[in-house]
Amino acid sequence: MTGLAITGILLFAILVVAHLMPYSPTEMSFTAVLKPPSWEHIFGTDSFGRDVFTRVLYGARISLLISVCGVALAMSIGTAIGMTAAYFGRLYDLVAMRFMDLLFSFPSFVLALFLMVILGFGVVNVMFAIALVYMPLFARLAHNMTLVVREEPYVQAARATGQPSIRLLLREILPNIAAPLMVQASIGVAFGIIIEAGLSFLGLGVQPPTPSLGVIMADGQEYFRRAPWVLTMSGLAVCFALLGLNLLGDGLRDLVDPRLRQRAE
Amino acid sequence: MKTLRYFIGRLLIAVTMMVIGALAVFLVMKAAPGDPALAALGEQATPDAIAAFRAEHGLDAPLIEQFVSWLRDMIGGDFGRSLTIAGGESISKLIAGRLPNTIFVGLYAVLFATAISLVIGSVAALRRGKLSDTLATSVAAVGVSMPDFWLGYVLILLFALTLGWLPSYGFTSPFESLSGALVTGLLPALAISAPMAAVFARTLRTSLLENAQRDYVTVARSFGFSERFVFRHYVFRNSIIPYIVIIGLQIRYLLGGVVVVERVFGVPGVGSLMVDAAFARDYPVVQACTIVFLAIVLSVNLTVDVTCAALDPKRTQ
Repeated sequence: MTGLAITGILLFAILVVAHLMPYSPTEMSFTAVLKPPSWEHIFGTDSFGRDVFTRVLYGARISLLISVCGVALAMSIGTAIGMTAAYFGRLYDLVAMRFMDLLFSFPSFVLALFLMVILGFGVVNVMFAIALVYMPLFARLAHNMTLVVREEPYVQAARATGQPSIRLLLREILPNIAAPLMVQASIGVAFGIIIEAGLSFLGLGVQPPTPSLGVIMADGQEYFRRAPWVLTMSGLAVCFALLGLNLLGDGLRDLVDPRLRQRAE
Repeated sequence: MKTLRYFIGRLLIAVTMMVIGALAVFLVMKAAPGDPALAALGEQATPDAIAAFRAEHGLDAPLIEQFVSWLRDMIGGDFGRSLTIAGGESISKLIAGRLPNTIFVGLYAVLFATAISLVIGSVAALRRGKLSDTLATSVAAVGVSMPDFWLGYVLILLFALTLGWLPSYGFTSPFESLSGALVTGLLPALAISAPMAAVFARTLRTSLLENAQRDYVTVARSFGFSERFVFRHYVFRNSIIPYIVIIGLQIRYLLGGVVVVERVFGVPGVGSLMVDAAFARDYPVVQACTIVFLAIVLSVNLTVDVTCAALDPKRTQ
């Protein structure tokens, strides 16, 4: 519930409050450069006099979008691979899952960084990087769940009636493994935000002037000693978003797990 | 005997993964846009100079020949030469100089994370449902939600810029001065350890609570052993295996954290080398760093597997 509340507040802030702010994320004011937090500027201003709170709200929108798209792509491809590997088995299962294990063996951020070097920097490539990092997780989860569900009587019955395999996978198996995948997706979005923030912070992800959370933190790094609030407050916003998503994921897991455990027994 | 066979089996799998991983990295790097000759010689290079560079580095040979030659060199410890950031210097020498710093900071972080999580996880499990449990699990939830590089800057603000107790930038190699490395590595290690400690603590708490309800624990209590004895010799010892497994699994995230935190604190490690090489489009260095990180993960996974097999021989069946 706490996770849902925090995530709800976050979504409300980035979708509604952002538009109600008296400042724009790109509006510069050279008389208000590097002002500390105050009633006028809750998170202070940056080196161009831009309101940091407004930039964080718009930046959070972009970071969340990148992460959600990346995780959605990971979930689609990973689930397809995991499900089909578990259902059809044999050589395809061996090759596909060993490839997923190999991808899983690379440190997440290192793999994302490697991909950015190959593909180049930018919003879309960060999405692909997040997708590649999380694909093995979804593949493994879908694979393990499909192995359990595959033996259920209703799946055997559907197979006996001659249902085509793809239809059986989509209509009988997928709906019954969707719940843990959604739990993983929620946690995946949180870590996707960390990856995007890390890549953009290093200058290897989203490029300025697009205001993602990582880009704002990178801006704040340059004059950290003079104006520590830019990096600190934008990072605090990231923590708030991550806390909400992690708690939401934990809550969903508690909801889903007892029922899953019963079925596996 | 069974443990030895298990170890050999796991070692073979690790070596196979390493070779296939190296092949994958090599092939993907070959597909990257841009000519390494242009990257090394600059945009003003003449066609003759480019042709000579490509001939010297075997860039015109068939792909499989290039891979075999590169793999052979890599097994011999030669990762080739840097194209741009270190102007022709041996990549192996660059990495060898930096790897101890990365491993030191990584181990330091694991040490902190283990120490913090053993306390928090045990307190949360022993005082389940009470205020200390709620506090411990809340701290763990917050800990796992903090980007490590942001935490690094918060620690710099507090301990370096405000209190002045610790340096904000720079790292002393452990070979130069162990005490210097412990002081300069403290903040980077703390920054990386916090999210990991949170995950370890939660795993330990779950594992302790599950084991505390097992039949053999009830039997131990019925023998009249003290609660402390039962906890230490029955509950804790049997909870340690999933805990060690999660430490192994978290190495992937730890190494990611190391890459960014090395930049924040100016630690001259493999992570910061990889970032510098990424900016300079020094593909051979990026390739070598990726493979080194893969080797570290596979080595740690192998160590965790064998340790768990030694602690619980049922795993070798």
